[in-house]
Amino acid sequence: MDPAEVEFLAEKQTVVIIPNFSQDKVYLIGGDVGPFNPGLPVEVPLWMAVNLKQRQKCRIQPPEWMDVGILEEKKQEEIDSPIFQPMLNEHYMEVAQLLLSCATNDIPKADDVRTYIKDIWDIRIAKLRRDRKSVV
Amino acid sequence: MADENEHEEYDSDEEVEMTAADVLLKLEEAWLNEKFAPELLESKSDLVECMLEQIQQMEENLTRCKKGDFRIIIHRMELDRIKYIITSYLRIRLSKIEKFVHHNLEKELNREDSESSKLSNEEFVYAKQYADNLESHLKSVAIKHMPPNLQNFDKDKTAPRPNLESYIFLKVTEDQEGVMVEEETDEHENEIINLEKGAQHIMRYKPISKLVENGSVSLI
Repeated sequence: MDPAEVEFLAEKQTVVIIPNFSQDKVYLIGGDVGPFNPGLPVEVPLWMAVNLKQRQKCRIQPPEWMDVGILEEKKQEEIDSPIFQPMLNEHYMEVAQLLLSCATNDIPKADDVRTYIKDIWDIRIAKLRRDRKSVV
Repeated sequence: MADENEHEEYDSDEEVEMTAADVLLKLEEAWLNEKFAPELLESKSDLVECMLEQIQQMEENLTRCKKGDFRIIIHRMELDRIKYIITSYLRIRLSKIEKFVHHNLEKELNREDSESSKLSNEEFVYAKQYADNLESHLKSVAIKHMPPNLQNFDKDKTAPRPNLESYIFLKVTEDQEGVMVEEETDEHENEIINLEKGAQHIMRYKPISKLVENGSVSLI
């Protein structure tokens, strides 16, 4: 699976956005979204959120797990335990990449968030490498 | 048009009515399973047809409404995503058909009437034509020029077969008890495991191929 396809799958997840326009409900094949009212939060799939953000039609609310405190705890859990911990989100890496690249100003302490997620990723990869022999 | 009516009857008589969103989810699952399975899986042509109908309807609607430029963009993006899944799914199937053409045709001709076909009608026609073309091409390019006693070869023995022993990752969607996974030890012990919903495993394809077919596990 190439990275573009992995991202394709991750983009199906939903995030909450705060639009700055108004629009009736949109009836997509995959489900309905909306209605959109300026200032009121609404849940949309990630691919739509990124597109709207790029056209400056909304603000993206970071998902709950993308918070510095929670990420710091998670990182500590990963360091303490020799086995993998359940991760906050199945596609945490892709979602973080997408949101941090297009919506940096919507995420509080974006740089810290980026560093923590990268650290968690490194720790988990190191565990994989170390334990590869026991899997085989 | 007759196909459309047949499709509607099939939907209401044999299956519970599914919303377009459900069909899309099932199609995505079929796409991922097909991508990671070493052999050709059952053809989900009904899902593909249903999605193609939806796409056609949506595109007609979009050409009709000129104003509301904004919504059009969003619908177009979604249509592009769905088209990508469909084309990728069909391409993966075609490449498997071409790679194992003799094996697939043999299986199709030998199957019982009660078993369902892995090739759709169009795919079967394509596979036959491809096999014939390949044979005549090889004959005219290479075999004709070889010594006469080497000119005949047994297609059954030399055809490439999919490697059912290859390892795949899977995720369990429904609890399964007593799945037999044979261990390759000298004593030939049979290992029986229970699969819990939501668990992820890596194992050989062969023992769980039936589970992929009936949807209790999905490949990742």
